[in-house]
Amino acid sequence: MRIRIISVLLSAVAVAAPASAQAPRPPVRRDDPAISLRPFFLATGQSFSAHKTFETVFGKSVQPFWGGGLNVAFRNGFYVDVTASRFKKTGQRAFFFDGQGYGLGIPLTVTVTPLEVTAGQRVQIASSVFLYTGFGVGSYRYQETSQSDDEPFEKRHVGYLVAAGAEFRVSRWVGVSGDAQYTYVSGIIGTGGVSKEAGENKLGGIAGRFRVIVGR
Amino acid sequence: MLRLRFFTAFSVAVLAIVALFTAQGRGQTTAPSRRLLSEFAPPAIQRGISPDLSHAPGTPETRRRQSIQAVSGVRDRIGASGTRYRPGRVIVKFRDGVSAPTRVSALSVVPGRATISPRAATQDFDVVEIDQAADPEAVARAFRGRPDVEYAQAAYRVHAEFVPNDHFYSTQWNLPAINMEAAWDIQPAAGSDITVAVLDSGVAYKAAELQFHAGAFTLDSEGNVGPPGSGGTAYPALGDMSLKFVAATELAPLSRFVSPHDFIWNDDMPLDLSGHGTHVSGTIGQLTNNAANGLGDVANGGGTAGVAFNVKLMPVKVISSEWDDIFGSPNEGTDDVVALGIRWAADHGAQILNMSIGQEGPANCATNPNQDGCAPAIEAAIKYAVGKGCFVAVAGGNSFDTGNHTEVLAEIASRVPGAVSVAAVNKNKEHAPYSTTGSYIELAAPGGEFGIFGGPGGVLQQTLDFDLIETFQDSPSQFGRPHFDMLRYFYVIGTSMATPHVSGLAAMLMQQGITNPAAIEAALERFATDLGPAGRDQTFGFGLVDARATLRGLGLAK
Repeated sequence: MRIRIISVLLSAVAVAAPASAQAPRPPVRRDDPAISLRPFFLATGQSFSAHKTFETVFGKSVQPFWGGGLNVAFRNGFYVDVTASRFKKTGQRAFFFDGQGYGLGIPLTVTVTPLEVTAGQRVQIASSVFLYTGFGVGSYRYQETSQSDDEPFEKRHVGYLVAAGAEFRVSRWVGVSGDAQYTYVSGIIGTGGVSKEAGENKLGGIAGRFRVIVGR
Repeated sequence: MLRLRFFTAFSVAVLAIVALFTAQGRGQTTAPSRRLLSEFAPPAIQRGISPDLSHAPGTPETRRRQSIQAVSGVRDRIGASGTRYRPGRVIVKFRDGVSAPTRVSALSVVPGRATISPRAATQDFDVVEIDQAADPEAVARAFRGRPDVEYAQAAYRVHAEFVPNDHFYSTQWNLPAINMEAAWDIQPAAGSDITVAVLDSGVAYKAAELQFHAGAFTLDSEGNVGPPGSGGTAYPALGDMSLKFVAATELAPLSRFVSPHDFIWNDDMPLDLSGHGTHVSGTIGQLTNNAANGLGDVANGGGTAGVAFNVKLMPVKVISSEWDDIFGSPNEGTDDVVALGIRWAADHGAQILNMSIGQEGPANCATNPNQDGCAPAIEAAIKYAVGKGCFVAVAGGNSFDTGNHTEVLAEIASRVPGAVSVAAVNKNKEHAPYSTTGSYIELAAPGGEFGIFGGPGGVLQQTLDFDLIETFQDSPSQFGRPHFDMLRYFYVIGTSMATPHVSGLAAMLMQQGITNPAAIEAALERFATDLGPAGRDQTFGFGLVDARATLRGLGLAK
């Protein structure tokens, strides 16, 4: 059911032209391909929704993701991104008391691996500037290991995202983009550990993303 | 001839003066009746593990030890609150800003003699000396009636929370019971940067030779001890004696001990004359994993293990043992002495305070601390220590099977975030039959039980040989001088033995960077293994401490 809703939403995004898209815009160049396959490299700084949890374990709640993916851009402005990224960092085990986290110095390594599909609309507002917005769905794999004989904790869950940003064409074959993305991922944290003590159960957050896109 | 007579007369006069000074009782302001002869003593005699089972709660031996403490020197009395106090003394805390002349004029509430003793540097209360015959609780009530008095109380007696049993060692079940092996894996340093103050009967921490004087006393059929001529069996005076003290090999080296202080003898040499403080210190920090490294008790293969075996120890002597009393120490283990000890520890760098000591009193000191039997001086001192960043562990009491009386100090600890009261469990992690219950119990730790478990049901540590110390348990004809130069391993039970498990664990937690005493308490309670009814209860508090879970804490999501 949830997947169906997402599909409908994505279809709506694909069909509907955003307000800016209805305004006059530069004509599509005749030599633009009907479909462009554009790989990209991604660097993200994400402010986790579970900020108390991440602050306690890692010292701060803004953490980097690194990754890449493929952007499929259609001549009519529709685009689909497939993105794989990863956050991996070693912090420390901790406990929570009276609203404050206390690190215990015991190494704790967390790996978050999102695999996201985003669809949306690109609008060219200048000769080398595009605005874009999109919605997406992702599969988020969370893994936690620490210094002990315990089994690693691993969980995977679906999440949702919305993104908006701008792409700047640096050259005919290279572009860069910056956007903001909000990710909503429930069902992974919040049932145990520091996150439960802190009362935080969302793994996502607001991210600032920077991409280098190769292709027209 | 004249010269000979003069010499004889002079010698008699000198001897008389010496005798006068050595016979002076406690409470007088003259020098204590002990003298350091040498800071050297022969190596300790290691006597292995004791098979003796003569010590248990409620036995004649236990009553006799308590009686000696109660009667020797100034005789303790029982107040209207049912709590033992030392006569001739009242602890008074005037409100801030009250001038010295006003404090002196306040003495008018005292019927008869009253003088204010000089204050120690860290002392925020006054000790008012009154007539021995006066009722200190009544005097305290009179002081409390004045608006310029914050609190006033009698000098209630504080005692050790243990009952020793000297049985043969087979295994230290108590350490696996709180998951210590896994905890040492997590933190091999075992508290190396942390100082734990042991507020107790002293510690066998250094070699020395001292001279004491022991007077006569009597013992009645009930085991009550009185001054000479008070009825019962007469025990002879032992006179002057030179006694050798050894350091517990399993607590060595001497460099491990910081800022020692003796508030019973008013000096910096808190030697243990009972073995209690040494045993407690062993559970906190006995040398561990030293079977083959040439350290510690080599003769016994490294002896026993301790919880935080690398901590620094601060011996602070605040309770007097039987022999301290027999020798006429100038102070006893009363509230003012304990309060000073707590403040000393806090001011001299201790981060953890172990108080395996207790005092019974009213159940409602929380709502009415200024009443007979409560200990506001100790409460203020504990709050002072916690305010300076110290975590405090207090024994929960051993009176469950003898009336289950409220433990005043443990009750105080339960109201101070950063201080905890500790109950005891046996080898099966069940309620130890002596362990006091009440709403103020916060944590449980291994205190042991003999009963169905026999000697090995106790907590084993190296300490002074009780058999050679407690010669007052023998008949008068066999009564003789004690020996503080022999070490042995004894199983002992009590909340005194439970409390150092918590102190050691708290030291390890602090080693991991948790410096907020309230957070340490929260962690100990959060990760304790719930026993008994679900959630906090009056027998186990939040449960049995779990060293591994506490040091390890939580993951992000697990």
